[in-house]
Amino acid sequence: MNHAPTRDEMTHEEAADDRTMFGFWVYLMTDLLMFAVLFAVFAVLLNSTDGGPGATDLLSPQIALINTVLLLTSSFTVGLGLQAVTWFGLTFLLGAAFLGVELYEFYELIHHGHTMQSSAFLSAFFVLLSTHGLHIAAGLLWLGIILIYVLKRGLTRSNVRKLALLSLFWHFLDIVWIFIFTVVYLMPFTGV
Amino acid sequence: MAEHIQNNGITTGNEHGSVRSYVIGFILSLVLTAIPYYMVTEQLMTGRTLLLIILGIALAQMFVQIFFFLHLGRGPKPLYNVIFFGATAGLIVLVVGASLLIMDNLYRNMSPQEITVRMAQEENIAELNGLSTGACQGNNANHIVVISSESVQPQYIEASRCDTLSFAVEDGEDHMIMFGSYEEPVSYGGMYDVIVRSDRSKIITLNEVGNFTYHDHSNPDIIGSFSVVEP
Repeated sequence: MNHAPTRDEMTHEEAADDRTMFGFWVYLMTDLLMFAVLFAVFAVLLNSTDGGPGATDLLSPQIALINTVLLLTSSFTVGLGLQAVTWFGLTFLLGAAFLGVELYEFYELIHHGHTMQSSAFLSAFFVLLSTHGLHIAAGLLWLGIILIYVLKRGLTRSNVRKLALLSLFWHFLDIVWIFIFTVVYLMPFTGV
Repeated sequence: MAEHIQNNGITTGNEHGSVRSYVIGFILSLVLTAIPYYMVTEQLMTGRTLLLIILGIALAQMFVQIFFFLHLGRGPKPLYNVIFFGATAGLIVLVVGASLLIMDNLYRNMSPQEITVRMAQEENIAELNGLSTGACQGNNANHIVVISSESVQPQYIEASRCDTLSFAVEDGEDHMIMFGSYEEPVSYGGMYDVIVRSDRSKIITLNEVGNFTYHDHSNPDIIGSFSVVEP
């Protein structure tokens, strides 16, 4: 088979899969809209630090770079996982490491008294970052459950469809992170 | 258990995807992450140019991942996905762009500092919420500037803080005096412009220290300046 099936050539099951993928895509786009609003909030409130420390005092591009590489690599292994399912195990580990680094960063900030309540800037920061982090956590949970299913029942049609949806979700989260890296961790250091 | 998922014959959305495509996307993304990081941490440049460059690179990386990871728009099937993505992108540009535009405009015209200085200027409120606004009290020297259709006299005034500045016109017409240059207006004492009527002079209090220029809005070549120092 050297071309994708057109609508006429699809079986019922293939057409159903196709609709599922599109429905999930629609969900991703609405999720993207929510993130866009959170980005706008962050950009507007970037300098509203209430006299306290701002982005350049609190945030570290180094930590963000580590997280960027972790998430990017996990997004890459998702792609490989669609060829050979073992790679999804690595995706899970990288995703968990990403979450660990992010929680460490939160802990350091809160430990030094920089909480969500400190300023409008920190509220916007924590809301944007933890919304993304919760998506990652949900993705990890979802991936863990699928992998258990795969171990128990093998690569059934329904398991493969779940993995395909998850891969879309994971690539999407990595694309959102590109903008978090740029807007949250790099933009304040440009001096604008 | 390196089973090939595609052997099940399921449309996984990556039927055009290959390991090669993912490797290319991965390497490109790494490069497009390293460049802005290096530019920002090494301070190769600063300011708006740098901001536009790193935002541009982020967009480029997004398209790299959409193309090499999501395989959007490849093959005959997922065209409606592309259309939906395009519509979402349009909405995002609208929502984010318009929010930033509105909030920036609001901040420029109504930032807390601006409001305080303006109240000090117009209402002569010396204290607000227990904080001094910088409003002046008592009588101080008055400096007079006469505006005609060709020039302002004198062109330069040196004053101490809390002196007053009177604008008067001699050509019998109303004038709008704006602070800063025609291209780059600035505010003085929270005001961007002073309207001077032909029949009476307009007095402002010099409550802000520094060097300032002003010009006639209808004739930007008529320029004057003043400097205010602490007494």
